[in-house]
Amino acid sequence: MNFQIPIGPQHPALKEPIGLRVVVEGEIIRDADLRLGYNHRGIEKLAESKTWIQNIYLEERICGICSHSHTTCYVQGVEKLMEIQPPKRGLYIRTLVAELERIHSHLLWLGVAGHEAGFDSFFMYVWRDREIVMDILETISGNRVHYANNTIGGVRRDLDELQVKHILDSLEILRKRSEFYKNLGTKEPSFVARLAGVGYLSKEDAITLCAVGPTLRASGVPMDVRKDDPYAVYDEVPFEVCTADTCDVLGRTVVRIKEILESYNIIEFLLKNLPAGPIAVRAPRRPKPNEVISRYEAPRGELIYYIKSNGTEKPERIKVRAPTLGNYAATIKMLKKGFIADVPLIFAAIDPCIACAERAVAIVDARTGQEKVVPMNILRQSSQKKSANKERKREVEWPL
Amino acid sequence: MNDQILIEKAKESLKDKVLEITNPAPRRLFMKVAVGNLLEAVNWLKKEMGFSHLSTISGVDLGQSFEILYHFANNFCSFTLRTEISRENPLLPSICALIPGAILYERELQEMFGITVQNIPDPRPLLLPDNWPAGNYPLRKDWKYERPAEVIPGGKK
Repeated sequence: MNFQIPIGPQHPALKEPIGLRVVVEGEIIRDADLRLGYNHRGIEKLAESKTWIQNIYLEERICGICSHSHTTCYVQGVEKLMEIQPPKRGLYIRTLVAELERIHSHLLWLGVAGHEAGFDSFFMYVWRDREIVMDILETISGNRVHYANNTIGGVRRDLDELQVKHILDSLEILRKRSEFYKNLGTKEPSFVARLAGVGYLSKEDAITLCAVGPTLRASGVPMDVRKDDPYAVYDEVPFEVCTADTCDVLGRTVVRIKEILESYNIIEFLLKNLPAGPIAVRAPRRPKPNEVISRYEAPRGELIYYIKSNGTEKPERIKVRAPTLGNYAATIKMLKKGFIADVPLIFAAIDPCIACAERAVAIVDARTGQEKVVPMNILRQSSQKKSANKERKREVEWPL
Repeated sequence: MNDQILIEKAKESLKDKVLEITNPAPRRLFMKVAVGNLLEAVNWLKKEMGFSHLSTISGVDLGQSFEILYHFANNFCSFTLRTEISRENPLLPSICALIPGAILYERELQEMFGITVQNIPDPRPLLLPDNWPAGNYPLRKDWKYERPAEVIPGGKK
């Protein structure tokens, strides 16, 4: 049996939407194959014909969720090429928005995980609270999605006392609710039972297949660009790298919840130690011919830019590798030996920026060659049906 | 492990195979090797230096040749291995046997630059549409996009 998952060719969130062909034997997946490029927009080619400033807004539109990640990664590379150092306050605000974005992305993912596991009230609660983060981002930048807060040499918008107070007040609400979700997870055996053991990726496989981000850290590898290769002000901020060693979807959930809680601490630190001064410096129009590698820990994992300048107003080459592409090889490994019903959950667990699209799945019977199209919501129902009669583990421990 | 130690170790183990090694910024290393010594260098990086994470592979069109950059990373440093291949004969060995996670990046390289990666486990196209005309490699500098003329169905001939 073969089946194919075309995911939203016009979905704005992904740079590389994915075609998946899965070979199954009964319920068990034997092989999986990828076909990318449905939404390949040729941004790398396009970037070569735009100026350094125009490219900030182009890179921002690679992703609709981690838009700030892409611009930060880009501008901090360009700042190195232009040999300028942004002022401290600018870097603090840049880091603040980055951490808010991480919270909003992880809360979004947590909701999706709840939804895919059939825990829809969890999904709605979490997404309600995600609105608080979105509101904070709106007060900072004026936008909910593309914040456009970065510029070469600093940030574009300053914070005032009232905004700092608003963020700190909202953070209190968020922290209280996140603690509540953490406890809810501990006492919700069906949720834990659904996630545990699904999408297994051993530590060795995670390393050899070059997985990134929470997927890698959930397999017990403490790799975090913020710690390994500190950019912006992460060398001044105290925080811990969150890992789990269960190597499954439960581990990935745990890592993300821990990271949310860690991000609240980082934001509090940033706001309480916000230095005074300017937020940006003037940048020259042309950098010297040079090259730079810029790395960034996006909510989904390591984001890397290779930027090469040739002394003109336009870049010679910009190479972008978004974290989701880094995780595809590992996803194929996770899918193998899994169940069809686990596909949405495993796939959602790498957080491929897909939250809302109705996704159609064509199932082809290998023996008869028959093909039928199954919408993703039917597949999700079968996923819930599968776990409906599963033995409930009472008092299971949430490994936080 | 700091950058200087890495540079010394590279010169010690790979000797004259290292064509150039630079350290333009803290935690950033660039090493150039000939394409024939690429696999040996990757093997050395992975087995002896612990760079098992390949971030990505970048290709750059230099006009007469292509430059290929392998961006490796570990917990201390980002190490870039670079090599150059000629435009007339763009052949590159696959590193998938050593780094299985490189497969998608090598497939991307094949399509975007028209480079033939030898011994690649899976040479199928990855990103471009199925009806993409052969011999068009978008990230080459001499490739220009031309929008096809718009045809209005039922319009004037």
